[in-house]
Amino acid sequence: MIADASFLKSLFCGIIPESMAFPFPGPSRAEAEETLAILDTLKRFMRTVYEPQRGSLDSPISQEILTEAGSLGLFGLSLPRAYGGRQLSPTSFARILQELGALDPSLALIVRAHQTLGAHPLVRHGTVGQKARWLAKMASGQALAGYALTEESAGSDAAGVRTYARSEGTNWVLDGKKIWVTNGPIASVFTVFARTSPVEEGIKPKLTAFVIDRDDGIITNAGINMHGVRGVQVGTLLLENVHLDASRVLGTVGQGFMIAVETLNHARLASASAASGSARQLLDLSIRYARERAAFGRAIGDFGLIKDKIASMLSEVFALESMVFLTTGMLDGAGSDCSIESAACKVFGSEVLQRVAEGAGAIAAGRGFASGHAVERGLRDARHHLVLDGTNEVLRAFIALSGMQAPGRDLANVVKAMREPIKGFGLLGEFAVRKAKSALGRERLTRVHPLLNREVVLFEDYVSDLAKNAEKMLRRHGVAIAEMQYSQRRVADLAIDLYALAAVLSRTSRAIERRGEEGARREVDLACIFAASAEKRMAANVAGFDKNDDEQRKNAAARAYQDGAYPFELF
Amino acid sequence: MKILVPLKRVADPDNANKVKVTAGKLDTTGMQWKPNPFDEYAVETALRLTENGASTKVRLGEVIVLTVGPKEAETQLRGALATGADRAIRIDATDDDLDGDVVARAIRAVVEKEKPDLILVGKQAVDGDSNQVGQLLAEYLGWPQATFAGTIKSEGDTALLVGREVDGGTLTLRVTLPAVVSVDLRIVAPTSVSSKHSPTHTYADGVRFAALMAIMAAKKKPMVEFKLSELVSDAAAKIAYTTHELPPPRKAGIKVKDVAELVDKLRNEARVV
Repeated sequence: MIADASFLKSLFCGIIPESMAFPFPGPSRAEAEETLAILDTLKRFMRTVYEPQRGSLDSPISQEILTEAGSLGLFGLSLPRAYGGRQLSPTSFARILQELGALDPSLALIVRAHQTLGAHPLVRHGTVGQKARWLAKMASGQALAGYALTEESAGSDAAGVRTYARSEGTNWVLDGKKIWVTNGPIASVFTVFARTSPVEEGIKPKLTAFVIDRDDGIITNAGINMHGVRGVQVGTLLLENVHLDASRVLGTVGQGFMIAVETLNHARLASASAASGSARQLLDLSIRYARERAAFGRAIGDFGLIKDKIASMLSEVFALESMVFLTTGMLDGAGSDCSIESAACKVFGSEVLQRVAEGAGAIAAGRGFASGHAVERGLRDARHHLVLDGTNEVLRAFIALSGMQAPGRDLANVVKAMREPIKGFGLLGEFAVRKAKSALGRERLTRVHPLLNREVVLFEDYVSDLAKNAEKMLRRHGVAIAEMQYSQRRVADLAIDLYALAAVLSRTSRAIERRGEEGARREVDLACIFAASAEKRMAANVAGFDKNDDEQRKNAAARAYQDGAYPFELF
Repeated sequence: MKILVPLKRVADPDNANKVKVTAGKLDTTGMQWKPNPFDEYAVETALRLTENGASTKVRLGEVIVLTVGPKEAETQLRGALATGADRAIRIDATDDDLDGDVVARAIRAVVEKEKPDLILVGKQAVDGDSNQVGQLLAEYLGWPQATFAGTIKSEGDTALLVGREVDGGTLTLRVTLPAVVSVDLRIVAPTSVSSKHSPTHTYADGVRFAALMAIMAAKKKPMVEFKLSELVSDAAAKIAYTTHELPPPRKAGIKVKDVAELVDKLRNEARVV
């Protein structure tokens, strides 16, 4: 009865699949030890090789450094062992990315884009021949991999892809232009998505993924001068009359859209992992600064409003970390579907990092406003998480609509069943039982430590609210729900907060079990702080389903579009 | 050349402020452990002495790392295996039951089994700072020793020219193998260690770190365990710790108005001028 073996999708149906999130997952002793050994090596590498050569963290990371990082093994961390990679578990990989995100967000992006975007399609869909040809080079870092999906007319909307692969016998000829290719200027292999059906108005294109070497005739430009993560080179890719034989098709012809989406799902968790590390780093800086910087005769950390910021940052970083490592733990085990969990991590992670960076900016005040200061760079670097791997706006729609598919499917079946009452009896019965259940009481969360009873009640209440409102929205709007972005946002934000809360409760319960109430005092405090702030957001979102100014806002924007600008002059 | 390197785990110096004392005893729960830095220098020295020219695959000789401690101390041994040591030995013991003398006698027993050509030790461990094990070991074995080595030049792997760090300069000794050599900080400078079969490249300053692939491969390298009682008949430590206490917290300083007050305080309170 677990919807597609996804924790979060189940919550949409009002079901709490407790065993998926409790106890809080963690690596085995041996794996933890190995990961710590890798982290130790990584820190030594950063101190002795990386930092002396790196120069300004706002300059592009040099080829020499990338070569060193490659021989260390950073580019093969998650790639298969058979091709020279380390094949780390999702949890260990996330832990390393977290550290990289703390040490240099640019390096973290280069490393994760290479593995989770560029190489991942090949890992998942490559033939043995294709893997042998490219994966070993990718794992050693000898060949960086790029992922080329976005175009001028196609960003989050993959259906707008114009790059066209024309079939010529068994061969293909590609023409088109890709933009925003991370590592584009330095990568030598690219996974390129092209339509293999001609452009026809109103018809979704068939996309196909191709593996293309730089030598095949790809032209890349020198890269875009970016606002943040300036160590990374991101550029455009020109394909002009690029001839490829059939061995370059990844998966099957027409499978490209699925490959693109699946890869992005994978990449989003990596984004959140790195973001959690960057957030920790900025938090640490803020704690140090609050203790050291004096004003009015005492450390600024003594003041209530600084303490308030530090407490918020702590609880959010704690929640983010818990959420990421709950998700990787689910992936370590039996293959759960974590597509919307990963999207939730990405949205939450990028926004927590944004808030933490702003908090750090507020604490560092004038100093953090100076160009090149760690906090100033942190603020700029943080933004890439909001934009890359699918904008947060699109991901909210994705979370809400994918999540509501499960209740939606049930509803559709129920309608069908009502037409044929006898055949559909079982289904109706099940639906009725669940309705009765949600009317009589909540689905229970039983494995949380009793110290957190208040938070458990909160969680259960809002899970039931999520399910009720998801169903209500589906009944109210039917298929038009796809257009109801305000409702989607409320549904998605509820789901994200609930997922974060589940992760926090699970991790805190584990801490209490291991170290007792006193030993887990810090976790308990942060769990309560996080739950209280999540409660405010969730209450507002639930109330907003029925009482809101959505229409006014739409109208205001529509009039502004007509006006073409801000419409007033005071005098 | 067969080299034995004893290696001790110590509380991570970067997290040393988390050390707790409960009822006069050190409380090590939750403590983070690191290899003693001087022992890491000894491992690095051993690896440099067994380098096989440009070939990185096979060593000219064998490097064995050894520790005396609980099961968890294997983490530090595996770290050394990952950087290139060939095999590891752990002598099972709890930290509380040890002193430099027991450790030296336990190592002697292993030396008699393994018959290494050279024992390289860190000059001291950064926790107890006893600076005893190397010297005691040389005495028990009746071997020549050279302490505080800042440079080592191997003469055909039968003798070593050891530059010792002493007050005011370097004292160079020639020791015939087998011998015990304890190493100091400068031994990991780029050109401190040399032999006929040194590679042509100069080393980076400091100790090498393991490539990520090597960390996995290290799990397959041999690790054997001995009981302390199998190796020494009398395992009683000669040093008993009566109590431990943390250094008292520093008192807050005071601000002086002017130089005159400063001089006054230095003269009459501190009595230093």
